[in-house]
Amino acid sequence: MSSHDLTLPRIGRLTPFERKANLAPQEETGPRTEGKPAAPLQVVDQVPIAAAAAETTIESAVVLTRLGLSSKVSTRHLDFFYGDNQALFDNNLDIAAHRVTAIIGPSGCGKSTHLRIYNRIFELYRDQQASGEVLLDGANILDPHYDIMELRRKIGMIFQKPTPFPMSVFDNVAYGLKLHYTMKKSEMADRVEEALSRAALWDEVKDFLNRPGTALSGGQQQRLCIARALAVEPEVLLMDEPTSAIDPIATSKIEELVHDLRNSYTIVIVTHNMQQAARISDFTAFFFQGHIIEFGETEMIFTKPSRKQTEDYITGRFG
Amino acid sequence: MKLKPATGRRLANLAVSIWAAASALLGILILFWILYVVIHRGLGALNLSFFTQLPTPPGMGGGGLANAILGTLVLTAAATLMAVPLGLLAGVYLAEFSEDSKLGDYSRFSANVLMGIPSIIVGVFAYTMVVVPLGNFSGYAGALALAILMLPVVARTTEDMLRLVPNTLRESALALGAPRWKVTLAIVFRAAKSGLITGILLAVARVSGETAPLLFTALNSPYWFHSLGEPTPNLTVTIFNYAMSPYPDWQQKAWGASLLITLGVLITTVLARFLLREKKV
Repeated sequence: MSSHDLTLPRIGRLTPFERKANLAPQEETGPRTEGKPAAPLQVVDQVPIAAAAAETTIESAVVLTRLGLSSKVSTRHLDFFYGDNQALFDNNLDIAAHRVTAIIGPSGCGKSTHLRIYNRIFELYRDQQASGEVLLDGANILDPHYDIMELRRKIGMIFQKPTPFPMSVFDNVAYGLKLHYTMKKSEMADRVEEALSRAALWDEVKDFLNRPGTALSGGQQQRLCIARALAVEPEVLLMDEPTSAIDPIATSKIEELVHDLRNSYTIVIVTHNMQQAARISDFTAFFFQGHIIEFGETEMIFTKPSRKQTEDYITGRFG
Repeated sequence: MKLKPATGRRLANLAVSIWAAASALLGILILFWILYVVIHRGLGALNLSFFTQLPTPPGMGGGGLANAILGTLVLTAAATLMAVPLGLLAGVYLAEFSEDSKLGDYSRFSANVLMGIPSIIVGVFAYTMVVVPLGNFSGYAGALALAILMLPVVARTTEDMLRLVPNTLRESALALGAPRWKVTLAIVFRAAKSGLITGILLAVARVSGETAPLLFTALNSPYWFHSLGEPTPNLTVTIFNYAMSPYPDWQQKAWGASLLITLGVLITTVLARFLLREKKV
């Protein structure tokens, strides 16, 4: 596909008929693969997927395979609805284990919506609905039988605005620990210290552990939230525009932190700040109007995007 | 085209400003007038025996309203005990779990209607539901009537206060793996704490001055308070009775009781405002 091809890539678009068919249990049929460009690479084996034939059309699976990386989270034919409005269309995305993946795109393109499916936090709202598959280590977390407490222990989330709980700094971090583990007080104190250290906050708060978490500065509050999420030993960290509500200096601290955490966790970060995505991520997915337009290594996306829409967005022609 | 003369606009502006300020002043003036009269007439009645002794027959002088003070406290406490747990839970349902449900809409609407029902009708209701079947006036009937008046106030303020808690706080607790009920109890309640207490205090202040629902439920009594199973002495019905009596010493006591209740409501309301301000800091 040339970089000035105006049509949407095949992966991102379905006819209404196909979309409807998608809501039913997945079955790979003719129309999906018909007329697509020849797949650049052969099928992947370390990514667990329903139908191997479909893999050749999924850009992220192809890229990860080429680099020999395994996928921690994979979405397959993921659709999302706010009431009757469909917000995501056939999202197929693979999140590389122990790497930082950035999701970029203009406002309202569905990037946050996509992220909020990974830990099923959208279920708080009755009219929101997801269909398709989200595979965490190969298991579909959208399956109602999937243990939601365990899911949310494994997948932590950081929100746009810092959300310290109305309790002390210590209790903020201990809250998740108490939910998932039983342990002695001394061990609890150790784990809280460890989490605060990993979030690069310990030195700043070690003398104020009994102060309310809300008394910290905005940037500190956000790192407190990261410490709180890290305390329960998650495997994946979801960050939904984590620096959009804090000042530039605090932002750079958070970015450094993400950089330090990348080796131990799989991180997905939604950001509207393209420089940020370029600075801290290994992979970038570009979303537009609920479709995943392009996925690739961050350097490639920002230097040689293969789709016109990606290029237009990155060069500031819209969004 | 000609500009209108400025004087006309200025005069109109001045007139409206004065009118608005005067209306506001009138409200404050009436409040202070009532306070002045109640303090002026009531302060003389407040002495040690007013708080420690039983009422005396007219003309004898001395005595106090200790029984009615205690009775009002007990009635209010009993009503609070009945209404607050129910009201809090109803508010939790409305704010946290009712999302678009019919039951939520209906109960919210009912609570709003219930808040507007004249208190004497609630009194009649308690009379037919408790006094008639049991065959005697009782503090239980009075407390029930007061509780019915408190319930919608507590439920609606609880709902409003919980709705003020940002959803992101709920989401971040849920995202840690907390079950919904723990999020409500440990996070949302804690975040809304001062607001919830304010709501309860305002509901208490509202019913502690009610007379009509007690007239034919708790009735009144010149004796010490023994149990809620019998007519229960209380300040408001005492004021009603004493103020209508022709005896100056009883009328004096009615003023004293009025002052006491007014101060009680005033202090509770100020305390509630104070708590709510604390929260914003």
